[in-house]
Amino acid sequence: MRRTIRAMLLLSLLPALASAHHVLGRPSYSLNEDSNTPPSMQVETQIGKYFVTYMVFPAFPQPGKPGRINLYVKRLRDDHPFLGKVRFTIRDDSWLASDDAREELGVQEPVDNVFRQGFVISEPGDYLVIAEFEAEGEPYRIDFPLRIGNPSSMGPLGITLGVIIVLLIAVNLLQRRRLARLKTSEYHAREEA
Amino acid sequence: MALGVGEALQSVICLAPGYVAHPGLPVGWVELVLAGMVLTMIRVLWRPESVTAGAGRFHTLVDLPGIGTWLRRLARHHHVLLALRMMTVAVFLLVIYAGLFGTPLPERNFATVVTWSLWWTGVILSVAFVGSAWCAICPWDALATWLVRRRLWRRAPEHVSLNLRVPRWLRTVWPAWWMFVGLTWLELGLGITTSPHLTAILALVILVLTLVSQLLFERKAFCRHFCSVGRTIGLYQQLSPLALRPIDPEACARCTTLECYHGTADIEPCPTHLVMGRLRENTFCTSCGACSQSCPQANVAWSSRPLGSEAMLDARPRWDLAWFVLALVSLTSFHGLTMLPVWEDWARQVAQVIGDSGQLLWTFTLGMAASMAVPMALFVLVAWVTWQMDGRKLPFRRLFSVLAIPVLPLAFSYHLAHNLNHLVREGRGASAVLLNPLGKGALPMSEAEMLQRQLHPLLDQDLLFALQAGLLVFGFWLAVRILQSRMSQIAGAGPARSLMLPMLVFVAGMSLFNLWLLMQPMVMRM
Repeated sequence: MRRTIRAMLLLSLLPALASAHHVLGRPSYSLNEDSNTPPSMQVETQIGKYFVTYMVFPAFPQPGKPGRINLYVKRLRDDHPFLGKVRFTIRDDSWLASDDAREELGVQEPVDNVFRQGFVISEPGDYLVIAEFEAEGEPYRIDFPLRIGNPSSMGPLGITLGVIIVLLIAVNLLQRRRLARLKTSEYHAREEA
Repeated sequence: MALGVGEALQSVICLAPGYVAHPGLPVGWVELVLAGMVLTMIRVLWRPESVTAGAGRFHTLVDLPGIGTWLRRLARHHHVLLALRMMTVAVFLLVIYAGLFGTPLPERNFATVVTWSLWWTGVILSVAFVGSAWCAICPWDALATWLVRRRLWRRAPEHVSLNLRVPRWLRTVWPAWWMFVGLTWLELGLGITTSPHLTAILALVILVLTLVSQLLFERKAFCRHFCSVGRTIGLYQQLSPLALRPIDPEACARCTTLECYHGTADIEPCPTHLVMGRLRENTFCTSCGACSQSCPQANVAWSSRPLGSEAMLDARPRWDLAWFVLALVSLTSFHGLTMLPVWEDWARQVAQVIGDSGQLLWTFTLGMAASMAVPMALFVLVAWVTWQMDGRKLPFRRLFSVLAIPVLPLAFSYHLAHNLNHLVREGRGASAVLLNPLGKGALPMSEAEMLQRQLHPLLDQDLLFALQAGLLVFGFWLAVRILQSRMSQIAGAGPARSLMLPMLVFVAGMSLFNLWLLMQPMVMRM
């Protein structure tokens, strides 16, 4: 009986459950089995007076394949949706990349309070999508990471193996030299004796 | 019926809109914990007694019928340990492979589920039963040792490593302290627990660090000074009922060859420079078995001892270890804090004030720093007040280090209670991940599956609550017993009663805060 009631209560909260595992500012993946929507990646964060929800379809976009960003911006104070324009730009997210090398994806107006921006990126890699808007005379800029294609699997493995091999060889060579020096000094000591 | 609805409502407590979390400790259990704490306090203040009798006695387990023979074999021969090490290394390699080549969905990938839901939570539970046994089969150490020494178990010639002495300024646990803080930041701030790829990279980085340490320094400097997991286990081990000890202490007193310390032609010396005959505390023992294998008289074996006896009597107060204990108690509570729905509300408010956006890393860093600073500052204040009350007889650093020891059970008991929640609620999906470690073709967790997991945790929810409540009372009781023992060693049983008061307030305050954390609904990581 207790379980049935628990199940009923939980069922009534299903829509809320979907957001239960979202951590502010951290990507999470979700699947809504009741619709045809593919799995999506979602980030919830805030900037200044606004709460921002950012969704990417599909959850893992592939190079050369179309994808879509949905952005929803609402004012923290009264949950009023932002209805101005949002400019989407993209740049390489590597350490040495400059913010000047940005490419514009588009400027969007809201449809049903959601800013929708399509994209097709041919090169796999880590990118930064920058959403900018101006509200109440203040400029806002939010950076979202976007991974195109699968992250390099061999890279970390190769670097680790390379570092290990170099370290092992270096210590081996050092120790050989030290042993040879020791032997020579022992030999000289014996000679002198 | 009314009771059923009440319980059901409690199981889906919703604090903030949009957040549904697992239920916290119900009021009935909270009242029991409070009653247990009050009774402990009354007993201590009413009947002060010095806790010494029987606290240091060891009972060797090799004399036990049946299991004794098996334990003797385990301690003397390397085969069992080697087989276990090979198994953990195999799992470790699979973690790296799955992390790098498997699905990025954390709840479907072997790397994240095994590392964060099973190992990271289970390793602390293991200390309660088998002390530092994890360190004996640690895959980082095993792999690094095999690579550096190019053999599976026999002693390697010394020239395979530079064998340098660890510089004096590094011969503390401060490197492990910083690593612990760094790992917590990566885990909770950067969210490495939800990224199989980053989990695998972290595993590789720690492997390289272990290897570098073995190549540069003599013995196992990484285990003793740098490894935050090892130092956490080492400190908690002071409370464990099991430890490696001499069967006959007299035999060790007569020993002049000290094979346990120097090793033999085949067996490695003690990796952390311990001499079994003089061993009084297990903080730095990695249970590697080198001492038991090398002892020519087979005089080293697993022994049982009263819970917390090492912390009460034998553990040497050390300034760096005291700070590690404080980091443990503050960061374990911080873990719980970040998993409360209310944490998100605070983070939003702070982010708004400082203008943080994106992953809110500045907000998180500030919150983490504050969560560490507040209990640490309170502890410094309590230690200073106690020092003044004692007439500054002892150097402040020494008293500070002594007073940190009773804090250990608070960290351990909350750590266990918190980890139980993870293990019981997140461990449900482990079997599916074991069958499909790379998560090939897997989809994100659906709403129905999430519901299933919430309804069917690995343990009955009431049993989980009972265990959590019991752990909190036990932690408080043990902390008070250790405090009583340590203060009576410093000031004698009579004056100890009044000297204990500031620390009693601190211990009670931390326990109440941890109890409050457990009462709150908890948002799971995956």
